[in-house]
Order: sequence, then C-alpha cells, then structure tokens
Amino acid sequence: MILAATGPEIAFWGFAVVAGIAGFFVVGSRNVVHAALYLVGVLGSVGAIYIVLGAEFVGWVQILIYVGAIVVLLLFGIMLTKAPIGGVALDNNQRPVAFIVAATTFGGLTWIIWRTFGGTRIRLSPTRTAQIGNSLFTHFVLPFEAVSVLLLAALVGAIVLARRD
Amino acid sequence: MPTTLDLHAVLPEIILSGTLLAVLVVDLFLRDERKLWNSVIAMAGVLGSFWATLTLIGDHRATFNGMFVVDSFALLFKLMFLAVAALVILISANYLDEGVRSTQGEFYFLLLSSFLGMLLMASSRDFLMLFVALELVSAPGFLVAGFKKRDARSNEAAVKFFLFGVLSTAVMLFGMSLIYGVTKSTNLVAVGQALAHPAARSEPLIVASILFIVAGFGFKVSAVPFHFWAPDTYEGSPVPVAAFLSVASKAAGFAGLLQLMFVAFPHQSNVWAPGFAIMAVATMTLGNIVALAQTNIVRLLAYSSIAQAGYMLLPFAVVGGAGPAVMRQAFAASLTYILIYSFMNLGAFAVVIVVNRKRSSNLIADYDGLMSREPGLTTAMLFFLLSLAGIPPLAGFWAKFFVFSAAINGNAAWLAAVMVLNSVIGLYYYLSIGARMVLRPAEDQSRIGVPFALAAAIILLVIIVVAVGVFPDFFNHFSPRSTLVAL
Repeated sequence: MILAATGPEIAFWGFAVVAGIAGFFVVGSRNVVHAALYLVGVLGSVGAIYIVLGAEFVGWVQILIYVGAIVVLLLFGIMLTKAPIGGVALDNNQRPVAFIVAATTFGGLTWIIWRTFGGTRIRLSPTRTAQIGNSLFTHFVLPFEAVSVLLLAALVGAIVLARRD
Repeated sequence: MPTTLDLHAVLPEIILSGTLLAVLVVDLFLRDERKLWNSVIAMAGVLGSFWATLTLIGDHRATFNGMFVVDSFALLFKLMFLAVAALVILISANYLDEGVRSTQGEFYFLLLSSFLGMLLMASSRDFLMLFVALELVSAPGFLVAGFKKRDARSNEAAVKFFLFGVLSTAVMLFGMSLIYGVTKSTNLVAVGQALAHPAARSEPLIVASILFIVAGFGFKVSAVPFHFWAPDTYEGSPVPVAAFLSVASKAAGFAGLLQLMFVAFPHQSNVWAPGFAIMAVATMTLGNIVALAQTNIVRLLAYSSIAQAGYMLLPFAVVGGAGPAVMRQAFAASLTYILIYSFMNLGAFAVVIVVNRKRSSNLIADYDGLMSREPGLTTAMLFFLLSLAGIPPLAGFWAKFFVFSAAINGNAAWLAAVMVLNSVIGLYYYLSIGARMVLRPAEDQSRIGVPFALAAAIILLVIIVVAVGVFPDFFNHFSPRSTLVAL
C-alpha cells in the first residue's frame, strides 16, 4: 500500500499529519501567542495541501491571507489589547467534556466520509488561476458582487464600533 | 461561454445597492443635526426597490446561470422584506436621531446591506449564493446589535450574536461542502435531482450534511437548541435592532430553509421531517414556558418569537413521505405564518420603542395602566398581542389556523394538539400584559407622546393585522401559487 503511494499522496499525508498535530496544539496550548504560531503550521499545511491537489490559486491565497494577514492580525490584537500572554489559564474545567465531544465528532465524521468517499480515486488536474478569474467574473459574478458589499459593510461597521467618539 | 444578464430581474437589488452607497456618501456631507436625512434617502431607496419588484410580478426569470431566480416565491418574500425595511426605518428614525446621532448614516447603510442580503436570499437557487446572502444578512446584524457602544449589554449582545453566528455558519458551510462533494453541483435543483436516487435517500453522509445545514439555519431562526443568543441579543441591542432581528433575520432564515428543504432535499423528507417535529415541539414549548417567567418586555418578546418560530417549523414536520398535496399545503402554511408573524411582531416592538422613549428600562411593569395614559397606543398594542396569541378575527389567528390544518391533513394530530396547548400558554402571557395595561393603575400619569414616524408605522401595522384577519385569502392566495415547489 505504502509502496504503491504516489508522490502527491505522500505529500498529502505529510502535510495532513503536520496540520493535525499543529491543530491539536492550537487548542491545547496555554499560551495565546504559541497558539497563534501553531496556527501558522495548520494554515500553512492546509495551503500546501491545496497546492498538492492542483488548486494553486486557493493555495496561495490561503497562505497570503490566512498565514500572512490573519495570524498577524491575531498577534497584533493580542499586543494592542494587552491581553495576558501565558501563565493565565485560558480554559475552564470543561476540557474533558470538550475532548469527548471533539473525539466523537471526529470519529463520526471520519466514519461517514470514509463510508461515502472511501476508495474513490480522483485524477488531479491543476486549475489555472486564469480559469478561476474567468469563472469568477462570468458564472459567479453575483456572489462576488454580494461579497464586496459584505466586506464594505464589515469595514464600515468595524470602524463605527472601534473608533473613539 | 457568453452569458447574457437579465438586469431587469436584479433591478430591486441594484436600486438598493445604489441607495446604500448613496447613504454612505451623503452622510459625509451632513452635519450632525441633519443626519435624519439619511433615513429619508434610505426610505426613498426602499420604496424605489419596492416599485421595481412590483414591475416583476407575474414574471418567471432566471439569470446568472440559474443562480438567481425571480418567481412568485422570491417576489412575495422580496415585497415582504422591503415592506419590513420601510417599517423598520420608520420605527428607528426617532430612536437613532435622539440616541446615536452621529453614526446614523452608518446604521442605515448597515441596515440596507442586511436587507440587500435578504432580497438575494429570496432569489438564490444555489448553495454558494445562499451562503453569501445569509452572511450578508447576518454580518451587518452583528454590528448594529453593538451600536450602543457605551452600554456593556449592547457589547455583550453583539459578541454573543457574532460568536454563535460564526460557529453555526461554519457548521452549515461544512454541510454544504459535503453535499457538493456528493452531487458535484451547488445548484439547488440539480442537487435535488442528484439526491433523488434511492441509494442517496438515507446515506449517512447526506443525512449528516442536512443536519449541519439545518443547524446553521436553526440559529438564524432561533429554533431550540440554537436559540441561546436570542434573548440576550434582543435585550442588549438598541430596541429597533431587536425588532429588526426578530422579524427580518428570522424571515430570511426561513426563506432559505424553505428553499433548501423543499427544493434540494425533498427526497430525504422521511429523514428530516421527524427531526423537525422534535425541533418544532421543543422550540414552541421552551419559548412559551420561559416567556411566562419574564419581567422584561424585550426578553418576553424574544421568548415569544422563539415560540412563534416553533409554529413556523411545525409544517416541515408533516411532510415526511407525504404526497404533493400535503407538501404544498405545509409549504404554504409555513410561508403564510412567516409573513403574518413579521407584521404583528414588528407592531409589538414598535409600541415597545414608543414606551422605551419615556422609560428605557423596558420592564413589563412600565406598561401598568398604559390605557389611561395613551389609549390609542394601548389599543394598537392589544391588537398586536391578541394577534400574536392567535385570537380571531386578527391575522395571527389565520396564521395558526393554516399551520393547524396542515398538521391535521398531514396526519399529525399530536403535533396539532401540542400546538393548541402551546397557544393556550401563549394566550396567558400575551393577555396578562393586556390586562396590566388596562386594569392596573398607572404610577406615572404623564403622556408619552408618539412621534409622527412611529405613529405612521403603528397605524399601518394595525391596518395590516386587521385587514389580513378579515381577508385571510390575501396571503394564502399568493403562497400556493409559488412556482418554487414544482410538485
């Protein structure tokens, strides 16, 4: 089985394991800054998986926006709000309950996804960024415009709430 | 592939988008004491959009590759959303001008963005579009809930609403992505056809996906057990925002839910209908029982709106494996209930806004002896409360009647019985407010004074509640004609 694995499969499993372990530490870490840095591992690996699957545009956007912007924003948020970093327990005594819920969800989802898609093989074909651009401005132009209003609303609303009167 | 765009079909959305940008720009040039003009521009845009929607009546159009459809279902919802938008502007104008004066422009901008999302929602026939529309409805809602920046409760309202909203959206999106993985399509009709296959009817993956998607919408319509945010958010938000959330955001959730369940997943109805039965019973019972213990009028209306959502969910529960006639009737019953609920609940909130101008505590005790202070206002409130309780000949009676007969025809007599029992509990707390207003002596005999805009909104709403009660066929005439359910 392992011997028959192709290059993309090995790469996929490598990144998936890194993402999984890093994800565990994001939730488990007692220090917010460490959690944010582990998040870089999760989001970076997910971006790499997109690239392995041939979705280069989504992959690079994932790395640019999520790793480049969102994690930095998170760190800035921690810095500017002078939130306590480490030392303070950020969680409560519901850890075991949360663990059980998470494990059950994981097990359940793995089972149903395996049941339906197990054994399905997809042939990877890279999607060019130009194709995405074309379909975004023909097929999906309406959601695209709606998202632009959504982002404008979020921007304006955030300024109203954050500024000092 | 060349695509032709039918711009007439999206004219209502174009007018509303233009208006929301105009509000944002004009606001820059208005001095603080003239900010009220923003509401006038917003109102003009809403009325323009309403007119554009009227020009589309009778048409059946599909554009943007079938992603956006104009049919009688979409038009009925759009007309309702725009009417609600106009009324929300009327009931917010004075509150905002006296409260958060300098940020009024942004408030109307956010309000119109949310209504733009609702218009899109009514026409979306695609998972992607539904998701974007739902986000466009919710995101401005999170922001306006926190508009009383100095009030810790308002901050709490916004944060709670935001966290619950984001979580449930993520769950819903995951469900949609699984459905896409199975059907390789995001178009609702195509998904419905792909899932019609007998092997797909009880596939665990599909059942789980439907559960995730329903959870996302269940949050929107504040169905139990996704309702926790509603009372705290309504209580903390500015009162007009609570009115807006309890009506428009709930109706938008149902607009999406009806399309999903009856277009994309009708073949799985055997699986999801029992789930809806449990959800409907839990929602109405919990909402009504907790409402009994409330001392704050906004919290009471929040729990009452949860209970009302239960009645709207009930028709979904009777379609499990049912024939086309039952399905059509259930669809129409839920739709009619949403339309009627929107106007009667908005009316009750409009009266709360008036009383809130005098006393901002929003306690039910503030309503003692209101009859001797403001007889006209009290009479209007009695109309709305009795309608919510389902007393004939007001509109709310017919809403309950249609749902009740859908349950009976769907062979779900036990659901009809639970509904009647719940209506009796509802009647008790709605009437007890009425009794307080009429029978108890008032502490403070001073008049409250109803500003023109609020008075106009309340009079319009009373007319709607009474007129629909006298001519119940008005809504029922539209809904079964919906071309959405081609059963």
